[in-house]
Amino acid sequence: MKARDNPFSVERIHAIRYRPLHTTFPEILARLHELNYRAGIIGPEGSGKTTLLEDLRQDLESQGWRTKLIFVNDNLPLTSAQCRRFLCELAREELVLLDGADLIRRHCWSLLKRTTITRAAGLVVTSHRPGLLPTLIDCRTTPALLRDLVQELQPHGRPVPPDFLDSLYKRHAGNLRACLRDLYDLYTQGA
Amino acid sequence: MDKLSIVLHEERTVFAPHEMVRGTIEWSLNKAPLSLDLSLFWYTAGKGTRDIGVAETSRFDDPGPVGSKDFSFTLPQGPYSFSGKLISLIWAIELTCSPGSETIRREITLSPTGQEIVLGDASSRNRFPWGQDGSGPNPLERILGIRK
Repeated sequence: MKARDNPFSVERIHAIRYRPLHTTFPEILARLHELNYRAGIIGPEGSGKTTLLEDLRQDLESQGWRTKLIFVNDNLPLTSAQCRRFLCELAREELVLLDGADLIRRHCWSLLKRTTITRAAGLVVTSHRPGLLPTLIDCRTTPALLRDLVQELQPHGRPVPPDFLDSLYKRHAGNLRACLRDLYDLYTQGA
Repeated sequence: MDKLSIVLHEERTVFAPHEMVRGTIEWSLNKAPLSLDLSLFWYTAGKGTRDIGVAETSRFDDPGPVGSKDFSFTLPQGPYSFSGKLISLIWAIELTCSPGSETIRREITLSPTGQEIVLGDASSRNRFPWGQDGSGPNPLERILGIRK
């Protein structure tokens, strides 16, 4: 199967919005307001933290907020120099959205956390662990969520059986990104 | 209802490097946009991170709520349109109106061979990462109706 035809290609997955389990987007936004726009989205790998951050960005921008999004990961570290430059260029009305806050160095985090109190409109981060900022939401997944996502993505006529998805979910300990990547590989074989 | 369209000259969608893409954009919008933006670009689709490259753009300011306009873009040397198992590179022309979220995209093929280049053997089999011992048919293959 060609990559462009794979039902589990990244662009198809990215088109799906975050699905809150026991809350709603308006409730998340209301809580963010209560927390004075300084909050953390926490959760394990593949639980939708980045997706939620990107979706929040869209919602916030549609409300008139200006945002600055930083992605940090093992391949894309944030150096001290980059951090300082970023903070120098920051405008007071901008909301900083940081994906991967627990992956940046301690002194960078301290600087970012401290500086954004006075020089930014807020700071929303994703992290695997709680404690960096007050928790906005703890992202969790369920086997039913995986089934829902697959239901939406999979082609008609060749459905993936629910019990197979449940075993995939278990195998990846609830990491939906890993489950969807496996399904991509599986469909690659099936052209 | 808002409507955007891209009509390619002679409905042609396959082009060689350096050829010209000609067409007409048409729009019928409830409210006049500030501008219409037409882009010729490529993007990747598949398993990994998405990449994008913009080759050319045209902006039409104050186009009014209804109208049409001819356009032409000269395609570059590459990259060629191709597909493998992990990645596809797709050329497209996209029309967006600003402000607003109305967008339309037409895919085209840029290739010296007259068709998308297909890498490798799309039907070759790999071991599934969660496969069994590999000696017998994997039940997962059967589940999804995968041909051997």
